[in-house]
Amino acid sequence: MKERALRIGRPTPLIGVVSEPEAFDPARPAVIILNSGIMHHVGACRLSVKLARAVAARGLLAARFDYSGIGDSEPRRGTDSFDEVSPRECGEVMDYLEKTRGCRRFILYGLCSGADASYNTALVDPRVIAIAQIDAYCYKTLRFYVEFYRPIVFRLDRWRSFLGRMWRKYSGQGPASSLASQPVPEGEDYEIPTYTRIFPPRALIARGLQKLVARGVRMYVNFTGGEPAYCYQGQYRASFPDVKFGELLRVDYYPQTNHIITQPQYQAQIVQSIASWMAEVPTSGG
Amino acid sequence: MNPLFFGPAETPLYGVHQPPEGKALDAGLVLCYPFGQEYMRAHRAYRQLALLLTKIGFHVLRFDYRGTGDSSGELDDVMAVDWVADVGYAVQELRDVANIRRVGVLGLRLGALIAAEACKARDDIERLILWDPVLSGRQYDAELLAEIAAEHPSPHGPQSGNGEDARGNLSYNGFVLSAAFRASMKKFDLPSAVPPGVPRVLLAVSHETQDFTQLRNAWSRVPGFRYLHAPAPHDWNFVDNFGGILLPQAVIRAIVSWVESTEQP
Repeated sequence: MKERALRIGRPTPLIGVVSEPEAFDPARPAVIILNSGIMHHVGACRLSVKLARAVAARGLLAARFDYSGIGDSEPRRGTDSFDEVSPRECGEVMDYLEKTRGCRRFILYGLCSGADASYNTALVDPRVIAIAQIDAYCYKTLRFYVEFYRPIVFRLDRWRSFLGRMWRKYSGQGPASSLASQPVPEGEDYEIPTYTRIFPPRALIARGLQKLVARGVRMYVNFTGGEPAYCYQGQYRASFPDVKFGELLRVDYYPQTNHIITQPQYQAQIVQSIASWMAEVPTSGG
Repeated sequence: MNPLFFGPAETPLYGVHQPPEGKALDAGLVLCYPFGQEYMRAHRAYRQLALLLTKIGFHVLRFDYRGTGDSSGELDDVMAVDWVADVGYAVQELRDVANIRRVGVLGLRLGALIAAEACKARDDIERLILWDPVLSGRQYDAELLAEIAAEHPSPHGPQSGNGEDARGNLSYNGFVLSAAFRASMKKFDLPSAVPPGVPRVLLAVSHETQDFTQLRNAWSRVPGFRYLHAPAPHDWNFVDNFGGILLPQAVIRAIVSWVESTEQP
């Protein structure tokens, strides 16, 4: 595996790194790893680097890059939203890899807002034949509420906490906790993503997923215990009962790990799992 | 911005060279990152610091130590002394790529300790800037252990994975310091000596502590030493779910102003 720095586009290039396998076959799909929020292309807990190298070890080319204004890529002029810009800039990276390496089919990967960007890009770019996501858009089902509240109902500490909150609320002692007690980064000394993650209406996403299914796009969706809207293995399929995913969808759920996957054993497990799945994506897919 | 790989062929290092905007000085600065989540949280601040330094004529190279960021290798296989060597490669790379003579180093938190150690090992560093430095490897190790001890994780729901395993490897907020790395890091100690042969040393702090005051007092009579206190947030190890990052503008501006003042005739 060899890695090279990338500068893609002019006058304001997108900066990234490509991991090239020893035996490169341009007929196989290439992997593009997307930013999560405003974290640069190394990814949360270096996950993007680990994934790129695991993918390259399996013979696939992998590129990670920063969208304009994030990480090592300078901002570009314009007023378009991230939702509009991200498919375009990812398309630039695909154009570059097509021109310089002969890659014509792509697998996109993203965590959180990166997962959203992978979906949005796949919708508009037919070169995308598969997406791997961590904590993608998801929606609560009836069973979600049953699964979510069942363990809580039998926990004495939760009842104490609930009753305490109620007592403080109705006895005039104010709320048990307030936003003021939370660390809220603001002001010029902090920067938080301008991209606000709002899950679109379920029906809209269902229609988009149906489009991807019709195109034969493969999806590997992972959820962590850090995603509050998800709480059981089968929830993703159940969220979209009208989408006939069939064999195109694989879902894994890791309730014991958090949103940025700080536990080393889960980092390794998730990276190996996603990289192996990517290596199995058929060359003729999509 | 010019991203590049440099250093030994077997352990290439990733860096970004930012050339000066406008008039170029015969001078550059290597930026040494802190560790772990602090590295993630400081990336934007380093980019901004680099940008401001280029506006006053400096070449800047910010780079990832081996086993971190985009550089080669895994943390498991790295010792703290390797990072000191990596600073040396970065200094040489900046000198070569920019064709300049005068090169300084800047480090934040653990990066400051690494930068100072690099100065002890070389005699060609023109300036050293320590930003909220970790004063010793032993102290940093103790700080991480204390942070972990103060946690109160719920037995229900997702876990952080923070803790020390039986072999002495320390996992903290998604990054693992091996027992060997920790042992290597614990040999580093900042207050024991001003790095010899460095004409200018800046201690820039965002908050005052007893440690910083002691360091200031110990070094105050050294020619070329300067202390700056620019109040600013410094919660470098804070982790949130949305990837918020820290941009302590007051410190960044204070550092750049000091660098600029030293270049004026």
